[in-house]
Parts: sequence; C-alpha cells; structure tokens
Amino acid sequence: MSLRFGYGTNGFANHRLADALDVIAELGYAGVALTLDHAHLDPYAPDVKDQVARTARLLAERELGVVVETGARYLLDPRRKHAPTFLHDDAHRRVDFLKRAIDIAAGLHAEAVSFWAGVRPAHVSAEVAWQLLAEGCAEVVAYAAERGVAVGFEPEPGMLVETLADWTRLRELVGAGLKLTLDIGHCRANEPADVAECVRIAGPYLVNVQIDDMRRGVHEHLEFGDGEIDFPPVLRALAETGYRGLVAVELPRHSHAAPDVAARSLSFLRAVQWLGDALDQLARDPAAIATLLPAARRRVGRAAAEDVRVRLLGAVTLTSDEAEQLYRYGDNDEKRAVLLAYPQPDLVRDALRSNDTRLVAAALGPAARDLPDAEWRQGVLKSVFMGLPLSGVDGLAQRADAELGRMLAALRREREAAGRTMPDDAVDLLERLH
Amino acid sequence: MRIFDPHIHMTSRTTDDYERMAAAGVRALVEPAFWLGQPRTNTGSFTDYFDALIGWEPFRASQYGIRHHCTIALNPKEANDPRCREVLALLPRYLEKDRVVAVGETGYDSMTPEEDEVFAAQLELARAHELPALVHTPHRDKVVGTRRSLDVVKESGIDPGLVVLDHLNEPTVGEVAGSGCWMGFSIYPDTKMSPDRMVAILREYGLERMLVNSAADWGKSDPLLTLRTGEAMLAAGFSDDDVDRVLWRNPVEFYGQSGRLDLDDVATEGTFAGNSILRGGS
Repeated sequence: MSLRFGYGTNGFANHRLADALDVIAELGYAGVALTLDHAHLDPYAPDVKDQVARTARLLAERELGVVVETGARYLLDPRRKHAPTFLHDDAHRRVDFLKRAIDIAAGLHAEAVSFWAGVRPAHVSAEVAWQLLAEGCAEVVAYAAERGVAVGFEPEPGMLVETLADWTRLRELVGAGLKLTLDIGHCRANEPADVAECVRIAGPYLVNVQIDDMRRGVHEHLEFGDGEIDFPPVLRALAETGYRGLVAVELPRHSHAAPDVAARSLSFLRAVQWLGDALDQLARDPAAIATLLPAARRRVGRAAAEDVRVRLLGAVTLTSDEAEQLYRYGDNDEKRAVLLAYPQPDLVRDALRSNDTRLVAAALGPAARDLPDAEWRQGVLKSVFMGLPLSGVDGLAQRADAELGRMLAALRREREAAGRTMPDDAVDLLERLH
Repeated sequence: MRIFDPHIHMTSRTTDDYERMAAAGVRALVEPAFWLGQPRTNTGSFTDYFDALIGWEPFRASQYGIRHHCTIALNPKEANDPRCREVLALLPRYLEKDRVVAVGETGYDSMTPEEDEVFAAQLELARAHELPALVHTPHRDKVVGTRRSLDVVKESGIDPGLVVLDHLNEPTVGEVAGSGCWMGFSIYPDTKMSPDRMVAILREYGLERMLVNSAADWGKSDPLLTLRTGEAMLAAGFSDDDVDRVLWRNPVEFYGQSGRLDLDDVATEGTFAGNSILRGGS
C-alpha cells in the first residue's frame, strides 16, 4: 500500500494559503497539514466560517486531504511563543483555541487535529503539570468525540510530553480517545528506540504523521538528507502498520524556499519509499535483484542511483555466478554498481577491457586488490591513457613499482614524440618511481 | 513538423538516415526488437542485440538529437525455435531498463501453437512490468491473424488501451478500430501502406489511437515515409494540428503509458562507453 505524502503549510508561511495549496497540489502531494495561523485560516477572524467553507472547496478541487495543526507560534499571545499552553494559568485560552480548531477540522472534513502539551513553566511542579494537562486533554478529547474528529497528541522534545513513553502515560490518564501524532524526526532526536521501531510501537495509535530529518539530541527540523535518519526502513515500517493517513513534511523553517524544498522532499520520499519496498522484497525474494537493479535509476533519480544500487546489492548474498549474471545483463551503470559491491577478478578484467571511464575507474578501486600485478599495471596505464585521475586508484602508493614507472615513462616518450603531454599526476608518479 | 516514429529498426540504418531523419523533424523514435533477416540460434545473440538497443543505438541517435527508446520481446517468427525461446527467461531483466517502453514485437507469424504460447506469456510480462505491448500482425493470412491477436489480447486481461496492433491495412483496420486497441500502420515504399492509402484510412477512421510508422529496417524501406504521410495529410486538407497529433502526440500518449518516455532535450555526449561514431579519430 502506498503512503500518502503531504506538506505542512507552516513551511509555506510566506504564501497565501490558496497559493500554497496550489503549489503543493501541483507538485503531486496527496494532502496538507494545515497549521492554523494569523495568515492561514485564522480561527479568530470574524469571517472564519466563510474561510473554512472556501478552504474546504479549495482542498476538494485539488483533491487534497487535510489534517489541522495547532502549533502556531504567536497566534494566541504576540509576546510569548506557543503560550498559553495547558500548563499556564490561562490554559482555558488554549482549550478554547483547540475547540475552535476542532470545529474548523469538522468543517474541512479533516482527518485529524493535532496538538501538544507545552513546556512546563518553572513555577509549576511536574505533578501539577501532569494534572493540568490530563484535565485539559480530557476536555478537548470529549469535545472532539462529539464532533467526530480524531485528535492526535504529539510528543514534542522539550515539552512535558516529549516521548512515546510520556504519551503512553498521558493516555492512561485521559483515556483511549487520545490518539497519537508522530513526528519522525523527533524519534531520532530523543527516543531511546530506533526510528523504525518507534513507528512500529506507535502504529496502532497513529492518526497523524509528520516527517523530516533530524540529528540525535538536536530538535531542529532538517531537510531530508541533512540529518541522520535512514528513511527506507522507516517508511516500510510505516506502511506495514497499515496507517492510511497523511505523512506530511514538517519543515517550518524553510518557508523562504518552500516550492523548491517541497519539490525535493517529495522526490526524496518517493525514492525512499521505493527503496524501502525494494529492500523488503529482497529479504523475501533475493532473485528480485535482477529486476530491481535496472529499475533503480528511474525510481530514485540519477544522482542517488549508484548508492542505491550498491545498497540493494549489499542486501542480498550473491554467488559469484549470480554477480556475474547481473554484470553481464547490466548496462554500464549497473555494471559499475556490481564492481563496487561484488568485486571479482573476472569482472574487473572485463571492465578494464572496456573503453568506459566509469567502468575502468570502478575496476581500479578496491575491486582490483586481487588482480595480479601485471594486469593491475596495465589497468593503471590504461587509466592514465584515458585521462582518469590517479587519485581514484586504490592502494597506488603501496603498489606502484619500478615496472609501472618504466611503463609510464614509455608512455610519456610516445606522447612527447607526438607533441602531446602527460597528465600532471602521472608525471609526478613516474618521477617518484624512477 | 515534429515527428515521433513509433516503429523503426535503426540498428539496420546508417548515420546518413539519422541525419536525414533529424532534418525531416524526427525527434524521437521507438525501435522494437525484431528478427534480423537471418535466424538467430542462441540466447546470447538476442541479449547482445538487446544490449545494443538500450546502449549503442540510443547513443548513435543522440548524436543527431533524436531520443531513442526500444521495445523488448522474443519475436513471433523466432518463437518457433526452441533454442530462441530460452530468451524468455531473460526478458524480465531487460523489461526493467529505463529506455524500454513496451513489450514487443510479439504476436503471430504463422499462428503456430508455439507462437500462441509465447504471445500470451509476453502479454503477461507486459502486465507484470506495467508496460504497453506492441503486437506484430502477420504478413500472411493477416485478417485471421489480426482477429486471433485481438482474441489473445482480450483473454489476457490487459487493458486494450495498452496494446497496439501494428502493420494494419484496409482489410484489418476495421477489426481493430472497435477493440479499444491502438492501430499502427507501417508505410512502405511499395508494399503494406502508402502515404495516400494512409490518408484515406485516417479520413475514414479518424485520428484517435492512430500510429503511423516507417518500420524501416534492413529491407527496402524509407525512414522518411512518416514525413511523407504528414505531407500527404496536409495536401488532403488535414490541419497542422492533426498532423502533430498523428505524428507526435499519439505515439507520445501510447508509449508514455510506460512512464519511461524521456523527451527532455537530448543532451549529446561525445562517446558511448568510450566509443564514438566518428571515424579516423582515436
């Protein structure tokens, strides 16, 4: 089952809401995580009902699903970020806001409303804070239940409820009506379990998922690839939970480049989902490597293709015959991946016979370790002849010998006789060997 | 006039042809895997050929700004040779290559039980690899062969919109028009269709699901007969937009169903796997 990817409108803070929906839909997202904010469907605007009706129409026309997010920074208090929360003296304003958000969600036919605890103020004890939170949540959950709206509570680093364990404790206090919003990035930042395992734990309770990259211990929402998360198994785990809601990109600090970031993010997620599924398929059916390897480039894009192919090859144990077949029936990019993942002397020899710089370069990497010296020298000479940089030759400093120096010197004489020059790195090497 | 030739065997053609085609407006083409005029005797002969269809030939085409795609299959003629049928097991590897946009040419040559089996198996491969299928209709007993091909397509369960029956003519086009399958016409200098006959068919049956190709190969054929058909359409009163639909948008729509057509501006590289088409150089 394919995951439904969405994008958070808090990452489009510099766009009008209608424009943001246009861009997000055009890129191919299945939905939006709509953060109610002063410029995006302000719940306190006098014409909020009209805005909700208009937004519902815009969403329907663009076939976008929607979840409502309530993490606006200065919507309730222009001076204090995120305030008031459940844990402040004026918590009723938070509850009132969340009730408005639930009404809006009902008007938008939203799949869920998401909210969080807030940071515990220094003067409030942990015991009191938990009590305040449980009471506030119970009121919100009851209100939502009457209106048929699902509510997801999100553990947020630094807040009173910041881990899945905290959420479980809250759920015991509030009841089973409290569901879960999971931010994949947060799992990397502060959960004890690995991210895919967090997804499996969260699975039965999920009503909303946010996704972004993150580093251990640092609550900073990063573009995919800038953090530490290995996404393929995470998306695979998410698909396996049976979760059918939105998986919305959460990059609230990237509004300045929103259209580009959103485009890159969707390409990344689609590629990673394909890779996660492919790895899962290989675990069940290793022979599938024969069709997954050629398909990889168009699935994950040219730039990532080689790394992904090497990873696919690394996920199966191949006999030397099987590796030889993948090499035989591969195009030259597939052949390169096989050379990198399964270096064998016969394949290295074939690559060195070719005139393709990509293959020759791959053959002279670690793949060439088992090649006899005479063949290795011929390979190095050929790579110099083809203009490849010697920096790519594995173990050159240890393996280069006087015979290689003689061969390079002879090539230099031929080149000079023809009025041509040798590459500088080859001249340096032959002078060192002479 | 921009032209997409949906069926042409460039492996058999010279660079002169590429040059003339580019000058005539051919910007993209599909080269179906077929037989080579002389029987093959082993699978290696096929796979080396397939490798050329996804490797060297797209490179040659790119030197003239032409985007080259191909279809892969065991052709019906050689489906009758047990030595060749072994290639079926290798097809899945090739059907996942980026520039492979359909399973083909499959279909009938002499309508033998072996051809039946291979045809059905290859339609199943098209389904498994989410590709369209290019069906060659036989040169002999064409009407019966066309009907039977449509039956096999129907039985297979493949969406008829993913299938083209090729090399049609006046006696067979009516069979296919109501089936939902696409209709392919090969315009030849003397045999099969001529540009004027093609224009008459377009008048009678309309432009929808119509593909016009030169099917140029190693025999007497002319890669510019797509252009000549476009010219004949204009002379007969069809509009520029009609010509563009038949010679460009229709093949893009049909093969685009593979999700693998790549029609961005062709970026030419100087060599393929280190080898160039230039002679007299290094």
